[in-house]
Amino acid sequence: MRAARALAIIPTVVVTATIVFVLIRIIPGDPAALMLGLEAPPAQLQALRHALGEDRPVWVQYAAWLGGLARGQLGESIRYHAPVAALIAERLPVTLSLALAAMAVTVAVALPLGLLAAVRAWSLFDLGVLAATQAGLAVPNFWIGILLLLFFSVTLGWLPLQGYAPLAAGAGAWAAHLVLPAVTLGAARAAQLMRFVRGAVLEELAHDYVRTARGKGLAERAVLLGHVLRNALIPVLTIAGLQFGYLLGGAIVVEQVFGLPGLGRLVLQGIYARDLPVVQGAVVVLALLVSALNTIVDLLYSVVDPRVSAG
Amino acid sequence: MTGRLLALLLAAACATALSSQPAESLGGRLTFAISGGPDTLDPQRTSATLAFQVMKSLYDTLVEPDDRGVLVSDLAASWTMAPDGKQWTFKLKPGVRFHNGRPLDAQDVVATFTRIVDPALGSPKRNDFAAIDRVEPVDATTVRFALKQPFAPFLAALGQGWGAILPKEAIASGTDFGKTPIGTGPFKIEEWSRDSFLRLGRFDAYFVRGEPALEGVTFRFVSEGPVKTAGLLTGEFDVVDNVDPLDVPRLEKDARVSIRPRQNATVNVVAINNGRKPFTDVRVRRALWHAIDRKAVLKTAYGAGSTPVAVFMDVQSPYYVDLGDPYPYSPAKAKELLAEAGLGSGFTADLVLPQPYASHIKAGELVQAMLAQVGVQAKIRVVEFGFWLSRIFTGAHDYDLTIIGHTGKLDPDGRLAGFGNPATNYVNYTSSRVVALVDAGRFTLRADLRRRTYTEVLRLMTEDAMMVFLGDPEDRLATRKGVQNVKEMYAIDTYDLRTAAK
Repeated sequence: MRAARALAIIPTVVVTATIVFVLIRIIPGDPAALMLGLEAPPAQLQALRHALGEDRPVWVQYAAWLGGLARGQLGESIRYHAPVAALIAERLPVTLSLALAAMAVTVAVALPLGLLAAVRAWSLFDLGVLAATQAGLAVPNFWIGILLLLFFSVTLGWLPLQGYAPLAAGAGAWAAHLVLPAVTLGAARAAQLMRFVRGAVLEELAHDYVRTARGKGLAERAVLLGHVLRNALIPVLTIAGLQFGYLLGGAIVVEQVFGLPGLGRLVLQGIYARDLPVVQGAVVVLALLVSALNTIVDLLYSVVDPRVSAG
Repeated sequence: MTGRLLALLLAAACATALSSQPAESLGGRLTFAISGGPDTLDPQRTSATLAFQVMKSLYDTLVEPDDRGVLVSDLAASWTMAPDGKQWTFKLKPGVRFHNGRPLDAQDVVATFTRIVDPALGSPKRNDFAAIDRVEPVDATTVRFALKQPFAPFLAALGQGWGAILPKEAIASGTDFGKTPIGTGPFKIEEWSRDSFLRLGRFDAYFVRGEPALEGVTFRFVSEGPVKTAGLLTGEFDVVDNVDPLDVPRLEKDARVSIRPRQNATVNVVAINNGRKPFTDVRVRRALWHAIDRKAVLKTAYGAGSTPVAVFMDVQSPYYVDLGDPYPYSPAKAKELLAEAGLGSGFTADLVLPQPYASHIKAGELVQAMLAQVGVQAKIRVVEFGFWLSRIFTGAHDYDLTIIGHTGKLDPDGRLAGFGNPATNYVNYTSSRVVALVDAGRFTLRADLRRRTYTEVLRLMTEDAMMVFLGDPEDRLATRKGVQNVKEMYAIDTYDLRTAAK
């Protein structure tokens, strides 16, 4: 069954890939015209289109690309003249670092605050948290990003303004470059997750077993952490898993603001340049990641709650 | 004896002190934040402005433009053209070395231009060298180009970024110059993180003595304007490009930075689709000139230091013609012309503006308001640049009016070719006389005759009101105080950091 679940990723990826293939051909624009800019004699444009294989029928291009994908080949970037797989390999660690750091921020903020808000439901604290989550959801993250950047990097000068440092350059430098982007990216997600945690905990608190546990004389702390939170975690885990997908999507904007050379930036530049192999390749890799993560989340249910069979 | 020794020691100390003087000013690495990064570092496989901005630091060309756009010596010490214009012979400078240490010779030039015209390379700039019939070495340091026919823009083609000279053995071994550039330029590559930064270090064997002054330069690719400005203020960046006009007052007040406005060789235009009614009527096109306060649009949208032009040529070009203000701003006159053309009650027009060019969009909004004054209802349609290129600039030319910048060219042919024949220009401008003159200019080798030819072309284009020419936009670099000699080369989109110092 687990193998079957893993296999189910394949149709997801193929369907995603096909949608991307179709979409990118629907939006007007032509990589050859973009490469040549405002100085292309028509004959030269035609020659470049031919060299790029753009003058082949769409279904031939689709078959060629899907065939390559089946053999694990993502092709060569039109804009960078480099293998797409190599470009993605360069960028993936950046985006994964960012998404994981943002996830850590999300969970670290959402779990305790959500739990406290539920325990003290409708108190001033709870209302404050609810208001804050509303703000967190409403404000666009590039704006939060620029504000954070102006405050921490410019006014205080504590953190670097821009760019990325790989782990190899030292954990301190790596973290310093990631803090602001991770907070920026995680803020809205934390707001959303916090509401779920609050809701799920509130629901659990109404159950009889909570009264029983309290009746047994268990400390409130043990009731909350040992019983309530554990049961509330299942829906929360689902949402957190889905949020990882949003984080990867949100990375496109945040990487742009903070100048992180990640997958999001690669996709964005790829769309501007109509660099079809890059966009297609990157989206397939992202789809793979999200599908794989969702599978892992499914499997995690059984860890959190033994009643859920991992079968 | 002791006295003499002491004197000697003193002299030696002074000499050391003196010689260490320039060495001190050599110190320092420059951090230069530019709006975007190169797609590739192979000069023959790109036509992107963002790529050429860094190319001059890595590579050299046989000739290069000086500040006024005149082509002067770079790797070539001298050159001659045969009277029939079909043979060009270049003598290379001695003492030039590639980053791999090997001296430059004629075979490198041969290999370089053999590579760019090879269809297998798929160079977007192959056409510029289509006139080449053969390239051959005359001796170790002399190279001769035989052309199929006389081609006046040839020297200019050699001076563009894509005329960079590459080492023959690296070409032969199929080196990927896109990642591992090897040139003769003042800096060599240290590290490139695509779309993040490009770090270059001084090339100690650079053929110009005493250059470059800097120890190295790091280009940082920063797309967000506010981030660039912030980085300049904190000192993280020494130089930033494309300063937003809105940031100028704030930066001007700051004692730590200086703003360096510079004339750009671009000509910004309100392009008119000459093939669509009612713009087929020259009176309507002239009415647009009268209706638009060109100076106000230019200075508001592109910066106060921009220069209006009334011809399709930048004001710095040796081919520029001053026609004064042929169709002065006058809504009354515009209405009169429209009424003459039977459009007294006005009409609507499709005004297409390209994203992400905020200044063109701003200009479009101003133009829209001005046209409304004379009864022309311009409906703005903002499209992404890729869309613009494939639907407006090429393809169906689906627009009435659009606003864009035409970047500078070293040779007027680069700017003017294609106009006049409606099949080869996006404004559908038709003029057999312009076609004939532009063709003639391409084969005219005498400078005075060429100038006369292009003067006539420019005059005709304005007379026919092919487009509404706005002018050359101001270009703003901002630097930290103490940064010197960061230069932009004329018309070729390249920064020249050979004498820059910090």
